[in-house]
Amino acid sequence: MAEYDLTTKIAHFLDRHLVFPLLEFLSVKEIYNEHELLHGKLDLLSDTNMVDFAMDVYRNLFPDKEIPTLREKRTEVVAQLKQLQSETEPIVKCVLFYIYFCFNFCFSMQFRQEYLDTLYRYAKFQYECGNYSGAAEYLYFFRVLVPATDRNALNSLWGKLASEILMQNWEAAMEDLTRLRETIDNNTVSSPLQSLQQRTWLIHWSLFVFFNHPKGRDNIIELFLYQPQYLNAIQTMCPHILRYLTTAIITNKDVRKRRQVLKDLVKVIQQESYTYKDPITEFVECLYVNFDFDSAQKKLRECEAVLVNDFFLVACLEDFIENARLFIFETFCRIHQCISISMLADKLNMTPEEAERWIVNLIRNARLDAKIDSKLGHVVMGNNAVSPYQQVIEKTKSLSFRSQMLAMNIEKKQSHANRNEVKALCSFAKILMIRPINLSCFLFVLSEKKIRIARCKL
Amino acid sequence: MSRFFATGSDSESEESSSADEITPKATGTTFNKNKEAFTTNLILCCPLRFRFEELTNIIKTIRNAMKIRDMSKCLEEFEQLYRAFLKSKTIVDKEGVPQFYIRLLADLEDYLNQLWEDKEGKKKMNKNNAKALSTLRQKIRKYNKDFETEIASYKEVLNSSTNVISLCRCQDEESESDDDEDSEDWGSDSVDSGGESEDNEGAAASLAVVFLKKYKDGRRKRHKKIEQVEEEVDEDGEAEEGGWEKVKGGVPLVKEKPKMFAKGTEINSAVVIKKLTEILQARGKKGTDRAAQIELLHALSGISNENNLGQGILVKIKFNIIASLYDYNTNLAAFMKPEMWKKCLECIDELLDILFENNNIFIGENIAEDSENLAISDQPFRVRGCILTLVERMDEEFTKIMQNTDPHSQEYVDNLKDEGRVCGIIDRLLQYLESKGSTEEVCRIYLRRIMHTYYKFDYKAHRQLLPWVTGPFSEQDQEESEGEDSAIIMDRLCKFIYAKDRTDRIRTCAILCHIYHHALHSRWYQARDLMLMSHLQDNIQHADPPVQILYNRTMVQLGICAFRQGMIKDAHNALLDIQSSGRAKELLGQGLLMRNMQERNAEQEKIEKRRQVPFHMHINLELLECVYLVSAMLLEIPYMAAHEFDARRRMISKQFHHQLRVGERQPLLGPPESMREHVVAASKAMKMGDWRTCHSFIINEKMNSKVWDLFPETQCVREMLVRKIQEESLRTYLFTYSSVYDSISMETLSEMFELELPTVHSIISKMIINEELMASLDQPTQTVVMHRTEPTSLQNMALQLAEKLGGLVENNERVFDLKQGVYGGYFNRGTRTRP
Repeated sequence: MAEYDLTTKIAHFLDRHLVFPLLEFLSVKEIYNEHELLHGKLDLLSDTNMVDFAMDVYRNLFPDKEIPTLREKRTEVVAQLKQLQSETEPIVKCVLFYIYFCFNFCFSMQFRQEYLDTLYRYAKFQYECGNYSGAAEYLYFFRVLVPATDRNALNSLWGKLASEILMQNWEAAMEDLTRLRETIDNNTVSSPLQSLQQRTWLIHWSLFVFFNHPKGRDNIIELFLYQPQYLNAIQTMCPHILRYLTTAIITNKDVRKRRQVLKDLVKVIQQESYTYKDPITEFVECLYVNFDFDSAQKKLRECEAVLVNDFFLVACLEDFIENARLFIFETFCRIHQCISISMLADKLNMTPEEAERWIVNLIRNARLDAKIDSKLGHVVMGNNAVSPYQQVIEKTKSLSFRSQMLAMNIEKKQSHANRNEVKALCSFAKILMIRPINLSCFLFVLSEKKIRIARCKL
Repeated sequence: MSRFFATGSDSESEESSSADEITPKATGTTFNKNKEAFTTNLILCCPLRFRFEELTNIIKTIRNAMKIRDMSKCLEEFEQLYRAFLKSKTIVDKEGVPQFYIRLLADLEDYLNQLWEDKEGKKKMNKNNAKALSTLRQKIRKYNKDFETEIASYKEVLNSSTNVISLCRCQDEESESDDDEDSEDWGSDSVDSGGESEDNEGAAASLAVVFLKKYKDGRRKRHKKIEQVEEEVDEDGEAEEGGWEKVKGGVPLVKEKPKMFAKGTEINSAVVIKKLTEILQARGKKGTDRAAQIELLHALSGISNENNLGQGILVKIKFNIIASLYDYNTNLAAFMKPEMWKKCLECIDELLDILFENNNIFIGENIAEDSENLAISDQPFRVRGCILTLVERMDEEFTKIMQNTDPHSQEYVDNLKDEGRVCGIIDRLLQYLESKGSTEEVCRIYLRRIMHTYYKFDYKAHRQLLPWVTGPFSEQDQEESEGEDSAIIMDRLCKFIYAKDRTDRIRTCAILCHIYHHALHSRWYQARDLMLMSHLQDNIQHADPPVQILYNRTMVQLGICAFRQGMIKDAHNALLDIQSSGRAKELLGQGLLMRNMQERNAEQEKIEKRRQVPFHMHINLELLECVYLVSAMLLEIPYMAAHEFDARRRMISKQFHHQLRVGERQPLLGPPESMREHVVAASKAMKMGDWRTCHSFIINEKMNSKVWDLFPETQCVREMLVRKIQEESLRTYLFTYSSVYDSISMETLSEMFELELPTVHSIISKMIINEELMASLDQPTQTVVMHRTEPTSLQNMALQLAEKLGGLVENNERVFDLKQGVYGGYFNRGTRTRP
């Protein structure tokens, strides 16, 4: 199962602290060797100040060994924390005071740069120690106080987002995400390469938010697929994100625009198929490019395994399977006019009874125009072919209205113009107002030549 | 020049001018000038001096004019001479007519007569000159009558003297065998002989005797000098032949220096540098003998080498040798002679040797002349000069040579063999610059390297991909396999340029070459992504023509690559621009189209010729066209079948339609011969859904040898093509005949087109989903059921009419919108009201 695991790829673009949840998840799933995982965790912790956590891990890893330098580090960290705290306290008090009493204090009083730096350092230290709520709080102050041009402004935003994510505070995280995105997109100073990097990071961090926030799945499509800069970033830097995009699209509830979204998605997947492939994208490819339902079915089964082992996607497993089935069925119906239920059940990974119930439900909810022939065990689709008459009607439907509008416009403009002429136009409009079915017979007589005459009269 | 030669003796320089054919005539005259001035000063005492000097001066100009056949000048000067002579009448009466005056008159007359008889030459003369010639001839005839006796006696003497000369020459030849060429010149060139004998004449008191004596003296002196030189040569231990030594003018001076070297080395290097600057000063001046300069520099380098003057000077001299080799051709458009070029190649090689051996030499364009350090070996040498420029120029010359060689001759192959050496030099320089050069220089040399790599197909890497192919080249294989894979090299070089280059042009070229290389090796996705990411399509029209040509080549290669990968649509899109213009040959820089002179004058043609890509880099045009036509066929035929009744059908490929029409116009259809005819025949077969015939037209012996065998993975391409033909034929068949069927079994279809059932299913499903085919599948029976929506002809007409009505209304609306401001012009025609 490890072959489809993206943790290593994703971890490149994440903060140290954000990787912990992923590792925790992996250790539960037991895909990798427990021992190696713990090693990895310890390595991760080595550069942070979460000494207690590190000690725990160390004890797990080597139960019989004495913990080496960590104790010293701990005292060091605590001392540093104390010092920073004492430095920051007056500032915070002062800030709080001013925030409550006169909001625009940073304009009225020259808040000294050192104070801000201290505040920032303290917040960062808090974050490194694992005290995310504290970090978020101080970063909030910091953000309120600093102008957008400050060198730490962007960093503070990233820190705030990370803290909110780690506290699982999704609403706030979503807000921070939008703010961060605006900052990145409006940044004209950084080079294209830097922007690309920033966007890639944002894309990865946002996964936490999008797959946990209730409205996340709409936003993810909007951001990843329809923002060209972000789509480019995905295509150049991290095509593996396509997995999340695809899942989000398939599980998306919005039926109306689904078809268009899918079309766009298929384009992207096909374009990137040489760099990234996994059962989820292959499923879409099988279904919408090759119309190979058997392999789509196979892929769907593989998808299940992939989803279960993915930190972000494990929550939407149910949704995904249900929707994928529906997709298969829908496409199937559009192509076929007569399907045997047993075959369908097989394709959808259900028992025949289940399948029949499912179809009945679909028909009843008016999502499917079909009848069940229970004698033969077939589903017979309603014929939805368009007859030529209908086509003629469709084509000429709007003509009368449009001509009328035109005539009215002309009348308005030319109220005193030659009446006869306008009448000619109106009579032509009347011709067009004849019921379209008659029109087709009528038009048979009226050859193209006559149309030209009519146009001349106009 | 004059400074240089002034130090040498006259007789020596004489030798050089007569012996060396390449030497311009002007050199000779310069010496005469010196000599004459000298002699007149000697003989005539002060009162006479002024007059005679004037005369001699005029005579000099006349002789010069004679040499360049400038008759009008001759005439002018002659009149002046006449006047000057009259002025000095008193002196002349006292002293008698000066000999040189008589001599000139005699020579001039002879010369004019000779010219007069030379009808060919006269025709070639311009009008002024011809007129001057006739007047001058008449005048001199009249004038000479006064001096008849003197002239006659002079001529007599001259005759006898030439006899004597030849006599003593015989003696010379006995004693000096290597004087041959000299004497030949003496006899053959009559005009020159006049000029030569003149030297001695000025000093003659009594004509015959003194003249001869003097002459002999001169000869003797000359011999002495030669002997002396040879002695020196021997002393120096030069292995060079004496006669060859004589050829170059400055030898005695150069030769003298080794003697000075004995005293102290430091002075010597200074002297050599001085000498070098002296030689260089002549560079670029009119009348400088470029070949001689090269020889001189060579000799100088030999000397400095012998005396161990240090590498600094050697490098400096080498630089100048190469530079003067390039100078040899003054015209930039003309190409160097291959021999010269090869010499240059050797020089660069030697220079690189030196640079590699000695780590303490700094070379650079920005080292000022005065801050150069050529001699002091304790400090690192600093030499002005840019080896990169030299190598670039060498490479350009190579391209020029290739452009100007007939590509179908053995010569071309021979020249092409040198490409390896060029690459070798570039590689060595690359190594050198990687350690020493600036990033810009490294970028430039990298681009050179890339330019020599990108168009070559890496057979070795290709063979590694196909391990089952064991060719007879296994030995060669092992040799080659030591080298790096060209893809890796390209990647490394290009990425460096992308990161470091600051000039846009080098980066653009590098990107294009990188894409080309990817495409050539069928790495389609990388090539495509690079093309898309570079955004070159947007601004390539602002680039200079060579880059545009490179871009076109890249696009074509990209298209061919897409075709090999079976991406017909991409292939078609990539090739569309090049092919639709009908000027593929020109756009790829592979030849000029015949055009009339109004569109392009000779100058433009020259420029365009210089842009041509050498033959060994060409892309096969027939292959290109075939790939394009076949992909157009695969796209167009099903499209045509699907939109048979569509009123607004548009063409995908105009060129393809053109070919089809050409095919239809033929009254008799024989079996196809050319590639185009094959494609047209195949298209016709495909139109009927007959894939077998189509297949046999596209892939057969003829087409294989013409087109398909040119691909490296021939077999894969053919398989892909067969598959595509089957699929597209199936689609065409369904479009064309669906109205005939009520239902059709997929199994039958799969048998008919020899495709697997899932493929057929997939194709049909796609058609249904895209609403191209009005049908649906019946799953239990595995059949396609047609929906009979294909309208009857009446319905079709109705549909078309409805569509036209729509168009009509749309047009009306557009007209209304257009005329909104001044609307009513149409309606108001005839009525006079207007709002």
